[in-house]
Amino acid sequence: MGKGWCLFFLFWPIAAVVSCAMAPWIGWSFPYDNAQAASNLGIRIDGLFYLILIVTAIVFVGTQAAIVYALWRGANNREERADCVHGNHKLELVWSIIPGVILLFLAIYQMNIWADFRIKKFYPEVAVKAPIAEVTARQFEWRFRYPAIGKKLQQKPQPDDLHSVNELHVPFGKPVMIQLRSDDVQHSFFLPALRIKQDALPGLQIPVWFEANKPGTYDLVCAELCGWGHYKMKAHVIVQPEEEYQEYLKTLTEQQFYDGLGKIAATENGSESEATEK
Amino acid sequence: MFAKKTNELMPEAAKPVKEALVKQFGNPFALTQFEGLPTKFGDVEGTVKTVEASGADQPLIRFQATGLADSYDKLQGLPLEWTSGKGQGHISRIKEYNFETGTIAVEKSAEIDPQPGDTFKVECVRLQFGRDLYNRHCMHCHGMSGEGTGPTSRYLNPPPRDFRLGIYKYTSTKSTSKAQEADLERTVKEGIAGTYMPSFKLLTEDEVSAIVNYVIWLSIRGETEKKLDDELFLDYSQEVYDERTSEEGGETREEVLEELKEFMELDFPDTLEFATDSVSEAWEEANEEDALVIPKMPRVPDTPESRERGRKLYLSQKTKCASCHGPQGRGNGTATQDFWTNPATNEKYKNRGLHDIWGNQLPPRDLHRGIYRGGRRPIDTYRRLAAGIKGTPMPAFGGSLSDEELWDLVNYVMSLPYDGNR
Ligand SMILES: [Cu+2]
Repeated sequence: MGKGWCLFFLFWPIAAVVSCAMAPWIGWSFPYDNAQAASNLGIRIDGLFYLILIVTAIVFVGTQAAIVYALWRGANNREERADCVHGNHKLELVWSIIPGVILLFLAIYQMNIWADFRIKKFYPEVAVKAPIAEVTARQFEWRFRYPAIGKKLQQKPQPDDLHSVNELHVPFGKPVMIQLRSDDVQHSFFLPALRIKQDALPGLQIPVWFEANKPGTYDLVCAELCGWGHYKMKAHVIVQPEEEYQEYLKTLTEQQFYDGLGKIAATENGSESEATEK
Repeated sequence: MFAKKTNELMPEAAKPVKEALVKQFGNPFALTQFEGLPTKFGDVEGTVKTVEASGADQPLIRFQATGLADSYDKLQGLPLEWTSGKGQGHISRIKEYNFETGTIAVEKSAEIDPQPGDTFKVECVRLQFGRDLYNRHCMHCHGMSGEGTGPTSRYLNPPPRDFRLGIYKYTSTKSTSKAQEADLERTVKEGIAGTYMPSFKLLTEDEVSAIVNYVIWLSIRGETEKKLDDELFLDYSQEVYDERTSEEGGETREEVLEELKEFMELDFPDTLEFATDSVSEAWEEANEEDALVIPKMPRVPDTPESRERGRKLYLSQKTKCASCHGPQGRGNGTATQDFWTNPATNEKYKNRGLHDIWGNQLPPRDLHRGIYRGGRRPIDTYRRLAAGIKGTPMPAFGGSLSDEELWDLVNYVMSLPYDGNR
C-alpha cells in the first residue's frame, strides 16, 4: 500500500500545476482576453496574484516531493527505521524565517498597488476632480446619475442630472471615478474584468476609480450576498471612446428631457409609435 | 390557478367556468392557442422524418421531426396539430421533446398514426418562450398566473402587481385605454424606481417582448375569468345559493340547478365570447396611435414664472392637488386622514387614507423625493397629470386643464425636489 500513497501524493502537485497552466486556455482563469485584466491596475493586481501563486506552488510542489520521497524510501526499504526527532532549533528557525521573509517581501512589494487602488491621496487627479457618475446600488439593480454635459457631479441631485439604470457608460483610456452609494443594504461593486471590487455601504459615499485599457462591454455584478435577488443584480459597464461616450450622454439628455413631441433617438423608446415625427 | 371568486361559486357553476378557461387558455403548464386574442402565439411547422417502433403497451409514440430546430428548445406541453396524414386536424400534446435529436413523443391515440412525411404545426411556441422567461424572472414575485402573490411577495411593499385586472399604472395611453406593449416593455427594462420592481435591462429585446406578450396573455385570462365570475356571482355564488335554498329563500336545490343549467346552455356561450372579445379588443386598441397621450404643444419653458403659475394651479380648487399631496407636496394632504369607501364593495376601508383598486393603502406621493415611478421625463409627468394613474385615485386632468396649464404644473412639480427646502 505504501507505493499507492506515493502515487496519491504525487498526483496532486502534478494535477495542480497542470490545471493552473491550462486554466487560461479552457477559460477557468481570470475573466477576459486570455486571463488578462482590462485595466492597467488590474494587470498589476494579476501580477501580484501570479507572484503569490508561484510562491505557493513552489512550496506545495516541494513539500509534496519531500513526502513522496519519504514514502517511497519507506515503502522500498523495510530495514531502515524512521527516527523520532524532537525539537530542532535550526529547523524551526528555517521554517519560521523563510515564510516570514516571504510575507514581509509581499507586504512591502504590494504597498504601491494597494495605495494606488485604495488611498485617495494617490488617485489620479483627473479622476478625482470630475467623478463621472454616482452609482447607487439597490435591491436588485444599479442606478446611475451623471452630471449634465459640461457640468460637475454634485453631492445632491440636480434638475439637469442624467439618470440611467443597469448600464454605465464610461470613456476609454483615461482614469474615471464614480461615487458609490447604497440605497438599502450592503452591496459590492464588482467589475471582474477590471479587477475592481468595492463594498457599498448605506449612508456612505465611497469613491472608486478605474481605467479600462480596452473598449468593450463588461459585467458589473454585486459581490455581496444582499438578498434573494442578489444573483440578478447585474449591469453592464460599457467602455467606449470619448466621442461615443459624449454621443451617449447627448442621447440620454434628449431622452430625459423628451416632452412627447418631435424626434427622439430611437434607442430607448423606439417601439413607441410617437418616436417618429408626427 | 383560479381566482378566489371562481372558487366561491357553487361547484356546479364553477365547473363550466373553469372548463371554459382551460379550453381557451389551457393553464401555465399546458398552454392552448385560442384565435382572436391579441397574443403572439408563435406557430412552427414540422415534418415527421422517422417514427420509432413502439411496443403495443407503450403509452407514447416517438418520432423524429425536422423544421423545429430554429424555434425553441422547450416544446414540452404544447399542442401539436396534425396538418396532413391520417391524424389531420387532430391535436396531440407534446409529452417529451429532445432538442438535440429532434425527437418528439406524443400520447398514443386511435386517431393518429404518424408516417414519415406527415406535417404538423406546434402551437404557442412563442408564448411558451415567454412563459419560461416569466417563470424564471417574474414568477417569484408576481405568481404563477400573475396573481401577484408569489413566494417573495409577502416581503414586499408596495406589493407586486396582480395582473389579472389588466390594469397597469404607468402607461402612455389615455385614462380609458389599456397599456401599450411598449409601456410594459419599458417597465420591464427600466424597472420602477422606488419599488422592488428591478430593471431587466440585460435581457434582450426579444426576451422582453416575449415576457410582455405572456404577461398580457395572463391579464386577458384573468380579466376573462373575472368577467365570467361577475356575471355568475350575484345568482350562483355559494353564499347566494345557501341563501336561496334557506328557509326564507324558499327555493329547492333542483330549482336553482335547473335555472343554472338553462343559463349555461342559453347565455353562457355568449357571455364567454363577449368577455373574451371585449378584453382582447381593449388590448388591441391600446396599441393604436390614437390611444396615446400626446401633448398638443411642446413643454412650456421651465421658468420661475411657469413654476409659479403651476404652483397656483396646484393649490387651486380646480385641481385640488393639495388635498392629497399636501400644500407643500409632502404627500400629507387632508385626504389622507379620511376614511374612504371601497368602490368595489361599497364598504369603508379599515384604514384611513387613499387606496388603489387592488385594495392596498396608497399614500399620495411625496413630490420632494425626486423618485419617479412612472419615469422622470417631462412627458411622463405630463401623462400622469393628463391621464391620471390607472387603478389609483390620481385623476386625469387632460379634460379640465389646458396643455399650457398642464406643462406649468409639470414644471412646478418637477422643480419641487430641488427647491432647497430639503
Ligand atoms: Cu447586491
